[in-house]
Amino acid sequence: MSEIDLSKYQNISNTWDEMYISNDNLREQYHKIITYLQKESANDLNKKEELAKRLFMSQGITFTVYDSGEGIEKIFPFDIIPRVITSPEWSFIEKGIKQRLKALNLFLKDVYSTQFIIKDKVIPASLIYSCPHFLREMYNLNVPHDIYIHIAGIDLIRDYDGTFYVLEDNLRTPSGVSYMLENREITKRLFPDLIPQCKVRSVTEYPNILYKNLLALSPRAVSNPTIVLLSPGMYNSAYYEHTTLARLMGVELVEGRDLVISDQKVFMKTTTGLQQVDVIYRRVDDDFLDPLVFNPQSVLGVAGLMSAYRKGNVAIINAVGNGVADDKAVYKYVPEMIRYYLNEEPLLKNVPTYSLGNADEKEYVFENINKMVIKKTNGSGGYGMLMGHAADQREIDDYKIEVLKDPRNFIAQPTISLSTAPCYMDGVLQPRRVDLRPFALCGPDGISIVPGGLTRVALKEGSLVVNSSQGGGSKDTWVLSS
Amino acid sequence: MLSRVASSLYWLSRYVERSDGILRMLKINYASSQDTIHEFTWDPVIRISSGGKEEEISSMKNDSRKVVEYLLFNRDNPNSIINIITLARENARSVQEHIATDLWQCLNEYYHTVKDPKLLWYVQKDDPITALDILIKQVMLYYGTADSTMERGEIRSFMSIGKYLERSIQSIDILDIKFISVSDNPDLLTDTSYWKHLLLSLGGYELYLKSYRGGFSDENVLELIMLNQDFPRSAKYGVHNIQRYFERLKSEKNIEHYKSLSFNIGKLHSYITYSSVYTIKEEGLHNYLVKIRNGLYGIGNLLQEYYF
Repeated sequence: MSEIDLSKYQNISNTWDEMYISNDNLREQYHKIITYLQKESANDLNKKEELAKRLFMSQGITFTVYDSGEGIEKIFPFDIIPRVITSPEWSFIEKGIKQRLKALNLFLKDVYSTQFIIKDKVIPASLIYSCPHFLREMYNLNVPHDIYIHIAGIDLIRDYDGTFYVLEDNLRTPSGVSYMLENREITKRLFPDLIPQCKVRSVTEYPNILYKNLLALSPRAVSNPTIVLLSPGMYNSAYYEHTTLARLMGVELVEGRDLVISDQKVFMKTTTGLQQVDVIYRRVDDDFLDPLVFNPQSVLGVAGLMSAYRKGNVAIINAVGNGVADDKAVYKYVPEMIRYYLNEEPLLKNVPTYSLGNADEKEYVFENINKMVIKKTNGSGGYGMLMGHAADQREIDDYKIEVLKDPRNFIAQPTISLSTAPCYMDGVLQPRRVDLRPFALCGPDGISIVPGGLTRVALKEGSLVVNSSQGGGSKDTWVLSS
Repeated sequence: MLSRVASSLYWLSRYVERSDGILRMLKINYASSQDTIHEFTWDPVIRISSGGKEEEISSMKNDSRKVVEYLLFNRDNPNSIINIITLARENARSVQEHIATDLWQCLNEYYHTVKDPKLLWYVQKDDPITALDILIKQVMLYYGTADSTMERGEIRSFMSIGKYLERSIQSIDILDIKFISVSDNPDLLTDTSYWKHLLLSLGGYELYLKSYRGGFSDENVLELIMLNQDFPRSAKYGVHNIQRYFERLKSEKNIEHYKSLSFNIGKLHSYITYSSVYTIKEEGLHNYLVKIRNGLYGIGNLLQEYYF
């Protein structure tokens, strides 16, 4: 059996590699892993890969694709080599995210009440009011403890020199945390003893912290408030995550049809009659929450929910209307928000962003379109993007036509190369692009971030898109203790 | 507990139990089809355990492998094992956080086992009993896991009610069809292997031998399957357990509904308790079975109305 051959690992030029400083100059945080791997043959690693697949399959950590009549079970691709983050790197990330979330939360409070930030002309009013996720229904609605963002997934990437940038703030219903938890469980099975040897910090506290926060948000002062997780149902691609979280927290998983509103209070239908609900951790988008207020076609939500919310009879997590803060055109102003609300310099950098709604910036972007990534401000999942360096002239022309229809809905960013991390593929380690999504939880006691997150990886060679819908996979993410 | 959750638990349990009944019956009938000088007729088995169309049934004639394949894997047969287990798993998936992780994984494995191409190969080319045994083992694993991991509360009650309701209905259906064949063809009355297979497919053969000496008689078979207190697949045992698990759902919050359903279950239980082979024969077996079947369906409908 041949051993793992590291000499074949080729760093990509002008790219930060998480494992190598340069070819055959290993970063210290990877020493123990590589030593461990070198004791294994390619055959052993193939077996580990198989085991990982089998574990995902037998635990039902799958999503179903229903395009060929019969549903096909798929697993979210998993790469067995963990991604490692050092203790100093983590404490920087942690501070940066806390600062950012504090400002974003103040922004939501402000934009839905006093609107000082608009009056002081830090952010143009037109930008806010043209955002489809800015909900007038939230105006002057008091949310418990003034917390809007209870759960956030902040997407971080690293440029060629290793600097962390925030690529996106996900402040509505960020998903992926179950993979953070499951990937760790799988790694424990794949590499016995390696996690304690490397002093990897645990991520298991996540559901406990979340539960504690949900409990503290109950509007009703009762000793045992009813907390539910509202899911769109089992055909949702994140359903596995919903059941996992409900199970780990011991809360009821409900669907819209399980809830009714009576006297501006929320109840769930149980075998022994109606039971009042105090806290809803919803995984249903704003648009579908209440057919009386938002999309009238929706059957995923509950008619009258917003009236109960406005009345203060139920807490909704995350708050409704957060989309105005993670809109990609508003993203550009987050550093300004941090300065405005906190009087601090932002720790985590923003990727330079051009609003195509602004004529000068649009012109600049169109002139330099080969170096740009153009995105829809409310797009997600890696859809509807133009990667300027990879597109041909026709794609570019077509996209320009789209942009000109409504420039406000588009932003452009210079192509950032994204750092690479080693992946086990075809019997060798190969560099692939990664990002990092840590999950932050905000409660009345402050913001906590479990040390870890979801590392998404673009499994296709040369690809810069890590979204699972575009051929991305994930890795276990290790934060080392100091 | 959420009404939707109770409903899913109940159905999950009914489907697994149904798959168990079908698998056992298939195994015994397949074995006996290999052990006969006459042409083996699959007709009653197909009628009991599938919702298939007449022409489909007759097209299989008496090709044992084809029948087994149809009852296990055919997507158009609503009661094929693959369809039932898909439904059981969908129900389980929608209540994943209420059942033990072990139980969910168990059911998930069962599902993936049914879908394993190897199994189809056993049925088409190799020994079909191997495939049936593999699946029967999955059901046994399920029951063992359920017994040792599930909490003993409301969840368990709804699952048990589903299980015993399904089981009682199955026993009654089998009995009914088998006795109809006897009235069509009285020669079967004295056919030892006929009764033996009936008892084997219900798992009551050994108990029968212990309880009744001196060969098979239709009256004894009837008594065992309907009225025996200790036989886990008898109608009496089933209804007794439905009653036992339903009593645990008593709550002051919905006492009116509880009382109404409790009344119906009690009535059915008494009806079975105070029958004997003699009264059954007097009433007419078919009429008797229809009455009990309707009683069981009635319980299912009231559960739906009051609890789900």
